[in-house]
Amino acid sequence: MEYGQNISVKQADLYYGDFHALKNINIEIPAKKITAFIGPSGCGKSTLLKCFNRMNDLVEGCKITGEFKIGEVDIYKTNDVNALRKNVGMVFQKPNPFPMSVYDNIAYGPRTFGIKKRAQLDEIVERSLKQAAMWDELKDRLNKSALGLSGGQQQRLCIARALSISPKIILMDEPTSALDPISTGKIEELCGELKEQATIVIVTHNMQQATRISDKTGFFLLGDLVEFGDTDQIFTNPKNEKTENYITGRFG
Amino acid sequence: MNSSKIKEQGGKAIFAGTAGICILAVIAIFVFIILQSIPALSKIGFTDFLFGTKWNPDANDIYANDLVGKYGILNMIVGTVFSTIGALAVGGTLGYFTAVYLAFFCKGKLKKIINTMVNLLAGIPSVIYGFFAIKAVMKLFNWMSPTGNATGLFMTSLILGIMILPTVTSLTKTSLEAVPKSYYEGALALGATHEHAVFKTMVPAAKSGIKAALILGIGRALGETMAVVMVAGNSPQIPDGLFESFRTLTANIVLEMSYAGEVQMGALFSTGAVLLVFVAVINILMGFVKTGGQKTKSKKSLPLWDKITSKINFGKIGKIACFVSAVFAGIFLVSLVVYILIMGLPHITGQLLFGEFEYGGEISILPSIVATLMTILLSIVIAIPLGIATAIFLNEYTKKGSRFISIIRSAVDILSGVPSIVYGLFGAITFVVLLGGSYSILAGSLTISIMLLPTVIRSTEESLKSVPDSFREGSLALGAGKLRTIFKVVLPSAMPGIIAAVILSIGRVVSESAPFMFTMGASIKPMPDGYMSSGTTLAVALYKLSSENLHTNEAYATACILIVIVLALNLLAEWVGKKLEKKLNGETNGIRTKHKRKAS
Repeated sequence: MEYGQNISVKQADLYYGDFHALKNINIEIPAKKITAFIGPSGCGKSTLLKCFNRMNDLVEGCKITGEFKIGEVDIYKTNDVNALRKNVGMVFQKPNPFPMSVYDNIAYGPRTFGIKKRAQLDEIVERSLKQAAMWDELKDRLNKSALGLSGGQQQRLCIARALSISPKIILMDEPTSALDPISTGKIEELCGELKEQATIVIVTHNMQQATRISDKTGFFLLGDLVEFGDTDQIFTNPKNEKTENYITGRFG
Repeated sequence: MNSSKIKEQGGKAIFAGTAGICILAVIAIFVFIILQSIPALSKIGFTDFLFGTKWNPDANDIYANDLVGKYGILNMIVGTVFSTIGALAVGGTLGYFTAVYLAFFCKGKLKKIINTMVNLLAGIPSVIYGFFAIKAVMKLFNWMSPTGNATGLFMTSLILGIMILPTVTSLTKTSLEAVPKSYYEGALALGATHEHAVFKTMVPAAKSGIKAALILGIGRALGETMAVVMVAGNSPQIPDGLFESFRTLTANIVLEMSYAGEVQMGALFSTGAVLLVFVAVINILMGFVKTGGQKTKSKKSLPLWDKITSKINFGKIGKIACFVSAVFAGIFLVSLVVYILIMGLPHITGQLLFGEFEYGGEISILPSIVATLMTILLSIVIAIPLGIATAIFLNEYTKKGSRFISIIRSAVDILSGVPSIVYGLFGAITFVVLLGGSYSILAGSLTISIMLLPTVIRSTEESLKSVPDSFREGSLALGAGKLRTIFKVVLPSAMPGIIAAVILSIGRVVSESAPFMFTMGASIKPMPDGYMSSGTTLAVALYKLSSENLHTNEAYATACILIVIVLALNLLAEWVGKKLEKKLNGETNGIRTKHKRKAS
């Protein structure tokens, strides 16, 4: 069975203990497009995102039902979470480079999957940094600690790190919320380039960001997926009143 | 299913297994010591043992005969209680005020210096405290004693008090600093002075933490052995004056173990069992303080303490008390170090350091240095991996409210509260017996390894906790398994903390003496020729040299070497600890610059 680039969720429910955090979610996320999840804090958008690479497994008392398919693979039926996460990369809200050199940060993923040859690693590091548009900035600083980079650079490094294992899908959990406008712009630009090769699902609080970069948008409220459709349609002609209220700012 | 899954499960099982060793150790210590006491207790009689006021072991001391000797330890129990109260009066008060001073009245460089000094006080070996007390401090007080000799309750309380000061201070300080700043601001906004806000608002808010600090101080004072043996006088009587000789439970064991007859040996193990009961009581008290901290109206607790503090709240007296306490601690440390350096440095000779040891002739401490190094090496090799694995299990595999985890935690707490002399007893009936019945460096190393576990576990756990979760998430999200995440990301980030744990453990091995005397040997000997030969560590050698009173110069020199090593290790640990903070805050560049090559 192959991991594909589209995500298909059917009748998914998620509970944190007694709290019903996701209610009967059905969504089809297309391949090689950017899909944005929007909605007020606590609406479940990040929770759903973390279902796609099973990061919710780390949360105690989290219970998930329903079907989550990535390509042909039913991800909650597979035993190999590591292979899932190799195919579905993630970028976090706060940049989280490891306290290692730039090079080691990017080589971490490939090394995890058994690549040890120096030449091969060099090639991957260079490719990943180029894809993240950072090669020119960092090629002379590969041996420096990643923690010495600026916040924006750290986040793009984390994207490069995610790219190092050539994921088919990249999940981004509010990747620019801790960054300045210039760094944000760079990352948005990067997303546009990355969708040539990978599906991107991005959670954002920033409406403008969603309109700028995404092809599809899903609006979440209190654990429900209220509306999902083409970004243009969601923002110009929402079908659901709640979506309209949120977008026009009368809500949240 | 696949091999990586098996590896993950296997790793977890190994971590859980090592954590189980702590539980096993606690059970073994209690069971073995109590089993060893039962025959003697049944012969002596439980009440005669606990409430008898005569301790007079007889030479004709075998289980087959009728008892001629008397084995009542009430005097020693009273002695232990008295000296503990004395220590609490001195160390509790000084430690409390020093902590308040550090937390609220002191800033910048001075704060750093006093902090370091308090930490150094904690690192100084018990034998050195005792040695300094008999050689120097006592001379200041001899005039006060009717016998012209200041050994006894007063001296013991003073020395013990200073020994528990670091424990009380650091824990009190931690809980004071955990009180929200907003309380302080609230008090000031109502027009309170700085002193009033500190003593009336901040201190009461930290009450349960301060109580815990005092209880831990009590535990430390109860279990202290070597310094007490050197200054208490040791006659098994209830002291009826401050300068009267007395004996504690711990001293009883050290003094008589080496020549004990059958029943006497059993009685000494029973003494150890009584100490374990004290430890258990302390742990239960701690449990109450920890869990009941929030809901108890702390008005009724420690009424005397409240009275004392409420008296000095007004004006600047409290502030002055704080300052005086901190300065006193500093002066004590400096005078101890300076005195021993001055007295010892001139006597460090080539013969002492590198010479041949001859019975009855020249003294050389080279064999002791070698024995110390051998012990350090082996105990680190044993305790560090076990401790790290346990800490990993506790921190990385914890499920909230897991029963197993909370049992392990209490086991670690108990292990850290067991007096070192009881470890010595335990080693004597387990490792020494297993290894053929004679003292050996191996038996001593195994004994101290168990003792090191709680320190290593706690210190490693602290540094694991300080590694942000985002590192773990980042690694897992890249498809790395839990083991890889732990070994490649978490442990390297926590490395400075772990190195600090190693250094502190080395310091502990160098400082301890009680656990070695009945496992490794207590007489100074020529060079050991392997782990199966007996030997003395430097600290034990110092105890022997000073108690024989024949080689005073050599004793000073040994003390001098010991203190230099210990101070260096402690300062090193502190420096390494700071590295951890820097590393995780990303202030250092190029931490792991293994790749020296330029980008192609």
